Amino acid sequence: MTPKAVPRRVASLLLRSVIKITPRDAIAWGQAMLSELHHIEGDWAALVWAIGGASVLAKHALLSAVIPRGNRPAVASGGELFTKEGPMRKTILAAAGACAVASLLFFLAPAFRQAFRVSLAQWNCVLHVMPVYVTLPYREPGLEALARQVEQKHDAEGLAFVAVRQRHWDAPESARLADEAIRLDPKLTWVYAIVALRNPLLSEIDLWVPKLEQWDPQNALPYLITAESIDIHQVARDKVRHWNLNRAEDESPAWQNAMAAAFQSPKLDTYCDRVRDLDRRVLLRYGFGDPYQAVDIGCEYGLPSSAAWDSSRYAESLLESGQILEARGDRKGALEKYWAVARFGQMAGSAGRFMMSQSLQDAYKRLATLSQREGNKQQAELYAYLVGKVHQAEEERTSLLQRDTGGAVSRWNAGVVRVSGLMMLFSGGLALICVSSVIAKGGLLRPGTLRVSKVSVTLGIGSAAGLLLSTAMLYVTYRPYAEILRAYLRDGDQSRIEELTWFLGYAQLPLGMDDSNQLNFVFYFWFGVTAMCAIALLLAVLRYLQNRPRATATT
Amino acid sequence: MSPQTLRVLERFAQRPAAWRYGYELSRETGLKSGTLYPILMRLAKYSLLETKWVTTEDGVPPRHTYRLTPNGIEVVRTSVAGTRSGWKVRQRALSGGAA
Repeated sequence: MTPKAVPRRVASLLLRSVIKITPRDAIAWGQAMLSELHHIEGDWAALVWAIGGASVLAKHALLSAVIPRGNRPAVASGGELFTKEGPMRKTILAAAGACAVASLLFFLAPAFRQAFRVSLAQWNCVLHVMPVYVTLPYREPGLEALARQVEQKHDAEGLAFVAVRQRHWDAPESARLADEAIRLDPKLTWVYAIVALRNPLLSEIDLWVPKLEQWDPQNALPYLITAESIDIHQVARDKVRHWNLNRAEDESPAWQNAMAAAFQSPKLDTYCDRVRDLDRRVLLRYGFGDPYQAVDIGCEYGLPSSAAWDSSRYAESLLESGQILEARGDRKGALEKYWAVARFGQMAGSAGRFMMSQSLQDAYKRLATLSQREGNKQQAELYAYLVGKVHQAEEERTSLLQRDTGGAVSRWNAGVVRVSGLMMLFSGGLALICVSSVIAKGGLLRPGTLRVSKVSVTLGIGSAAGLLLSTAMLYVTYRPYAEILRAYLRDGDQSRIEELTWFLGYAQLPLGMDDSNQLNFVFYFWFGVTAMCAIALLLAVLRYLQNRPRATATT
Repeated sequence: MSPQTLRVLERFAQRPAAWRYGYELSRETGLKSGTLYPILMRLAKYSLLETKWVTTEDGVPPRHTYRLTPNGIEVVRTSVAGTRSGWKVRQRALSGGAA
């Protein structure tokens, strides 16, 4: 007996292997396919035969695992015999329906509606093809509806809430809403400052700044707004690159005056507390459940980076001026300059971001040196201590950023939420297709007599189960964040709001993407969609061409 | 009824009393094993096809053979005839003739 060729041996092995997992009622058929192998001419033909047979047996094994066998009535008529269909069992229909209904019931919970909204945020930058960083806070249909509602009700706080959330390309609308809000309630004049900081090119700023100075005369913020407005207009008008304006001495006298006034002001209030309180009140009043609107990223770090940078540049120029005065022997003049920086740095605190930290340390060092020279050892030690404190605070801040523990957990949870959201959409879509195909075949009015293919049943049950699973997963994962948001809105508890901010930030990145390759992702996503559509079209055309001659040849 | 099923039934209907092998049916109908066997399994499940193991030669495993049952012959006659007449009507309509 000659040894068998490799393909034939593989074919035999394949069928024998699949027979082991085949349900009992189909084993004889597996043996039948195996026995036929000995009579097939050609080794490769035998392998093809085995692959076809194995696929049939594997399908039976899979279906028997999903759908338990029931007593099926004998069929006598030829019409209903050969259509790969069986009567749909009521239990199957009930199970799939129960899964779908249970999934929909989750939507009754406000926390789940929030979670679902968050899971959809990842599509913003893909469908709108925009960088992620401009989407927070973004204007979305819910905000549009709220804007209409608050305008109808003449709700000043509601108008202010919407005004500070307009995107920069909606700046005129933002200005209009702010004007309307403050007309209704002059106590909201501080809203001008928030809108101006977010839209420094607005022409209304020139009118707003005097009002802000009058309303809150001791605050440095209106002067910082003026300086930023001058800066940004110069960049826009003269096409000067922003980083070319790196020396404060190169700035206009108007900018210098504005910064001098800011550094001489007794206080710096960025109105972040007022923004948070207003947000909480409006969100609770209107039951507006979008967490992205509740967490205001803009106020997280206090001053906008432009204002912090302006402050830092001006502080450096003051320190340099102080050194020049010191060299000339004008100790008092130098002291004033150093003190101005130290006082503003203290006043800015965390609102000044990391940019003011170095200037503040330098100011204290110079003050310590001056005190040392004067022989005031105690005062010099105090300044040295303050240098150490500022340095320590900066170290702690850097270390906290590097550890990024809250971010790691939030990143993971955001990933789960994004996957759950995608699974929900996929399963829901699949379930809809199955239901549509069943309806198209004869309706759902008499499920006992309805006949659907095993594939449809399997897909229907799978999609319903997937929908329920992904819904539950989304709810369970998001639930802690809903609690954080609830505690923040009801009680003003900000202790874990940073965790929520991390989470929301990650949740809006499409799956498999980070900040660095967002544009590539968008390109690859749409390329993939286009390629899949092209392949589907090609397959449809091929199938059509394949079937057409066969139909005519039969007659 | 699918064209593939019809093709298998036509083969059985040619010699209703004869026992047929799976590979033989595959060659005659041009159907791959992955298409042929589900059809045979369905026919057998509804008792329209009877099956039998036969030993053909020494050292070779017995083969599975198939034949239509009397009930199957009756169903196939009506089904195949109905489908053929339906096709003819459709073909005449498509070619512009009277239905």
